[in-house]
Amino acid sequence: MTEPNTAAIAAEKKDSIMDVFVRGALKGWDIGIKNIVPNVIMAFVCIQMLTVTGAMAWLGKVFAPIMALWGLPGEAIMVLMGALMSMGGAVGVAMSLVADGKLDGNAVAIVMPAIYLMGSKIQYLGRFLGTAGVPTKYWGFMLGLSIVNAGIAMFIMKIIVH
Amino acid sequence: MEEKKPFVKVPASGYIVLVVAIVIFSGLLAKVHGWNMLDFNTLNGAFGTMKTAKANFIGAGGVGARAGFLFALSLVPGVMLALGLMEIVEHYGGLKAAQKLLTPILRPLMGIPGICVVALVSSLQSTDAGAGMTKNLRANKDITLHELLIFAAFQFTAGGVIGNYLASGSALFGVMTVPIVVPLVVMMVMKLFGSTVMRLYCWKFVKEEK
Repeated sequence: MTEPNTAAIAAEKKDSIMDVFVRGALKGWDIGIKNIVPNVIMAFVCIQMLTVTGAMAWLGKVFAPIMALWGLPGEAIMVLMGALMSMGGAVGVAMSLVADGKLDGNAVAIVMPAIYLMGSKIQYLGRFLGTAGVPTKYWGFMLGLSIVNAGIAMFIMKIIVH
Repeated sequence: MEEKKPFVKVPASGYIVLVVAIVIFSGLLAKVHGWNMLDFNTLNGAFGTMKTAKANFIGAGGVGARAGFLFALSLVPGVMLALGLMEIVEHYGGLKAAQKLLTPILRPLMGIPGICVVALVSSLQSTDAGAGMTKNLRANKDITLHELLIFAAFQFTAGGVIGNYLASGSALFGVMTVPIVVPLVVMMVMKLFGSTVMRLYCWKFVKEEK
């Protein structure tokens, strides 16, 4: 065994399981502060604007019949619309609806997979499909597929929950 | 047809951390006294409340940016715990173990070659890693146009699913009424479903380029 190799192994061995955990936890801190906090504040402010203008109550009423298909209150449409923009934002919207008593634990379970299946799709068009080199003529189909997936997943979750 | 399989050496610790991680995030042992030390929500714990108060430090009835800030802060410990655990899984070869287990089932399941498995496992952690590796596979002519489209459909819906779900979703783990693993399984099934639909679409409507 050559010397640099031994040194490399020794360096790797030095990382105890605690060190590794701490390194990951630090990444979690970065995500929390740089990603979750700004996203959640954005979501809470949007919800506040919708609430004080009465738009929230209106949206809740208009979408009630559609969302009822999945056993969800009309306000849940906000979570799905938020999801298309950002997964973290959608979680923030869901949490603020939970805080207001508009969504319960079952409703959260139902929307959960949908948040990710159709989540951040607008930015992923460029960030994923563009980067991976998928020809643009297939983008629409991919986007539709994601939304259909989310719809089916909510039916599956509805069955599991009830 | 013989397929070149990517060679991976998996240490025994890889399988161990993979199984332990699945147990922790599945909520399997949530209600087993003592063994619930291997349960995510148990490890995440709970905020205390002010004496005689019912709500924790977030309080009750807050709205707007201020309420959002305190609420978001309350999510950070869960995210740090989840990513700390994931780092351990990766460090001790858990991802490699998952990779090894997935390789033989990739072709029958999705119609893409085994060489995609590294990109696939990475894509579950990070959308961007998946995108970059997929681009590379296509550039090296390791995958055909059909395979690119099928693979992209799999990755695009619920992109970076495990990474994203554990990072932002952990905020809702305490509220939802099903074990953490259930939505994850549903998402994986739907990703497979999406890639299967794309496979049929390709077979019917997309001409493979020579």
